[in-house]
Amino acid sequence: MSDTITKRQRQRAGGRYGAVGRALGELDDRLGVARGGRTFLDKIFPDHWSFMLGEIALYSFVILLATGVFLSLYYVPSSTIVTYHGSYLPLDGMPMTQAYQSSVNLSFAVRAGLLMRQMHHWAADIFIGSMVVHMARVFFTGAFRKPRELNWTIGVTLLTLAIVNGFLGYSLPDDLVSGTGIRIAYSIILSVPLVGTYLAFWVFGGNYPGTVILQRFFILHVLVVPGIMLALVTFHLILLVRQKHTQFPGEGRTEDNVVGSPMFPVFMAKTTGFLFIVAGVTAAMGAFFQINPIWQFGPYDAARISYAVQPDWYMGFLDGALRIFPAWQFHGFGHTIPLEVTIPAVIFPGLVFGLAYAWPALERRVTGDHAMHNLLDRPSDRPKRTAAGVAVLALISMLFIASSTDVIANYFKVSLNTVLWTMRILVLISPFVAYPIAYKIAKELHETKGGGRRKVTNVVTRTESGEYVAVPAPAYVDDVREELEPTPVPVFIEETEPTGEDDASGGVRVVERD
Amino acid sequence: MNTLRHLARYALAAAAIGAPLAWALPAHAANGPVYQTSRHNAGTPNSDVVTKKNGQITSYGDSAITYNVPSPALAALGQALYLQNCASCHGTEANGVPAAGTTGAFPNLVGLGPATIDFWIESGRMPAADPRAVQAPRRLPRLTHDQALAIAAWINSLSPSYPAIPTVNVKSANVAQGAALFALNCAACHTIEGDGDALARSTFAPSLRNIPATQVAEAIRTGPGNMPRFTGNLSDYQVADIVKYVTTEIQHPRNPGGLGLGGLGPVAEGFVALLVGVAVLALVGFWVGERQ
Repeated sequence: MSDTITKRQRQRAGGRYGAVGRALGELDDRLGVARGGRTFLDKIFPDHWSFMLGEIALYSFVILLATGVFLSLYYVPSSTIVTYHGSYLPLDGMPMTQAYQSSVNLSFAVRAGLLMRQMHHWAADIFIGSMVVHMARVFFTGAFRKPRELNWTIGVTLLTLAIVNGFLGYSLPDDLVSGTGIRIAYSIILSVPLVGTYLAFWVFGGNYPGTVILQRFFILHVLVVPGIMLALVTFHLILLVRQKHTQFPGEGRTEDNVVGSPMFPVFMAKTTGFLFIVAGVTAAMGAFFQINPIWQFGPYDAARISYAVQPDWYMGFLDGALRIFPAWQFHGFGHTIPLEVTIPAVIFPGLVFGLAYAWPALERRVTGDHAMHNLLDRPSDRPKRTAAGVAVLALISMLFIASSTDVIANYFKVSLNTVLWTMRILVLISPFVAYPIAYKIAKELHETKGGGRRKVTNVVTRTESGEYVAVPAPAYVDDVREELEPTPVPVFIEETEPTGEDDASGGVRVVERD
Repeated sequence: MNTLRHLARYALAAAAIGAPLAWALPAHAANGPVYQTSRHNAGTPNSDVVTKKNGQITSYGDSAITYNVPSPALAALGQALYLQNCASCHGTEANGVPAAGTTGAFPNLVGLGPATIDFWIESGRMPAADPRAVQAPRRLPRLTHDQALAIAAWINSLSPSYPAIPTVNVKSANVAQGAALFALNCAACHTIEGDGDALARSTFAPSLRNIPATQVAEAIRTGPGNMPRFTGNLSDYQVADIVKYVTTEIQHPRNPGGLGLGGLGPVAEGFVALLVGVAVLALVGFWVGERQ
């Protein structure tokens, strides 16, 4: 034989799993990734569609990070006044901050800049929207119960941080509309009783608008808040793997098992495809729907104001609360507390998010239920919880609608004052109307046999003797599942049982290497 | 409470004394320029160069806007049209007193410049569909351009006054200046994208999306309805700049980013984000996932 190595020999030398397997083997020798990797690859994901809602949030966060890095390469967080001489003629010769100039240039002079800006903005709107939907899914199915309270807390924190970061990002271009938003934020901080003035001066580095707020918002927006969020998302997912998924009750599903597809190969393919679909939808929206046309708004100037200014949708409930709250103030003891700002913009959101944080503990206390729950409720199983959630959502939705009082009045040609009073009344009564309706529906569904559950299809056949026989059909036609043999565990991650022997001589412990 | 009531009484008394005085003022101002109402400083041009014709200002001193008085020859036709279309409310003398009505129920038209008359008729607001409406909405005009000019000519013949009907030379106007002036003077009510919006008590700032250049200039110079009258603080050059910005960028926004979503800002964007973005992705999840 010659020295030539044949292809077959090379393959054989590569081992059973080829070059990839060998590379992984090398990695495992050094880092011991095999066991953890195996756990990860074998992680079971329930197939129910509602478990995909959180993934929309996860993947829009990924898109936010990617597009955000692109934007940060061109954005200048500076309040220095410059004169614009760019390609957008209606702004030619106008004095503006460098932040606004760089945002306009980013939109018009940078290749794909406008697409990236719009994708970033749409992704932010979708991110928070899907977080809310995901949170609703977790709430109404009781997935936050023991042992998952900590993950619920992390989720609520993530939502809060996402809203804050959305506002910070919205403020960065320093256009007329977002400048108005910063002004409102300043007033909200001012309205905090006793410490408001100090707090506002501390945040803005002096009186409004000052010269430092944009660079402060910038570093918060691109580093501090996303950094915390990234850590929390990671922790959220680690807990998810550690505690395993919840699942809806069903055939073969118990409190002690998880039924679904393994990470590899089924779920990995599904979720990667889903990442691309989220990215594709966001890119399509960025390409076809214009969002936040800052060049039309012009630079911010405290003397200028545009009517019909709303914040992005996730701040809508705050804006709505501010709009409809009556003008109450407290004067006394040498202080003024603007209750018309403090109550709707400081106390109210504090209560809403406080309630969200406290809910798992509240529910434990009320129901006295301290058991572990891995099986989900259907919303109709817990009429009171469902009704409470619907009531809060109704209140928030009404406040959300109240943030567009002027648009409603203009569009439907009604008096603004009528709309204002209508919204005040609707906000006050909506939770009390929504609660009994939701409660009644949930209760009736729960008490109806088979209520809220998908009806089973029957296949009716006629025998030769003329007899009709109805047999329950599989859920999907042609969807007859066969039992699969469990995948054999590859040899290179053979588990070694710990010996359990403890050599405790002189306080020195011996730990076996894996 | 009592203090408030007293204050209100004083205010009423002051108004009762002041109003007739105010109406009397234009009478003795026959030598100087006469503008549509009695507000003293209204219509004082800040331009140094003012063109006068027969003792009245015809231009604010530059070539950006030409003000044309409708031909007096149209007055006879105008009177006939006026009697048919306007007299039932504004009275046969155009003084706001209908035949059996009371003074002050409807606006007095004598002494309003031709631009005011032309604006209200050509924007379709007059003759009013509902005379008791809080604010007359823009409609398809019932009278033609020539008929509007004729009525303006007749009312002007009762007491010649200014501003006359503007013709804006937008070619030489500066759109960037217009954008800045628009943000400063107009956006507070009409919104920065010119869509208009609701104001208090059923009044509203109308959309600017389909207003011809002449009417934009007329509105700025005459201040119809709740709108302030911009005379002394805006030169003709500046008005022309605003008119150019409104008739180009506001009425034909470039929307390089895709669909403009009606210029409604975050309200429309929120709906798109939730009903298109989140909903489509949730549907995809529904499609990918199991539905039992």
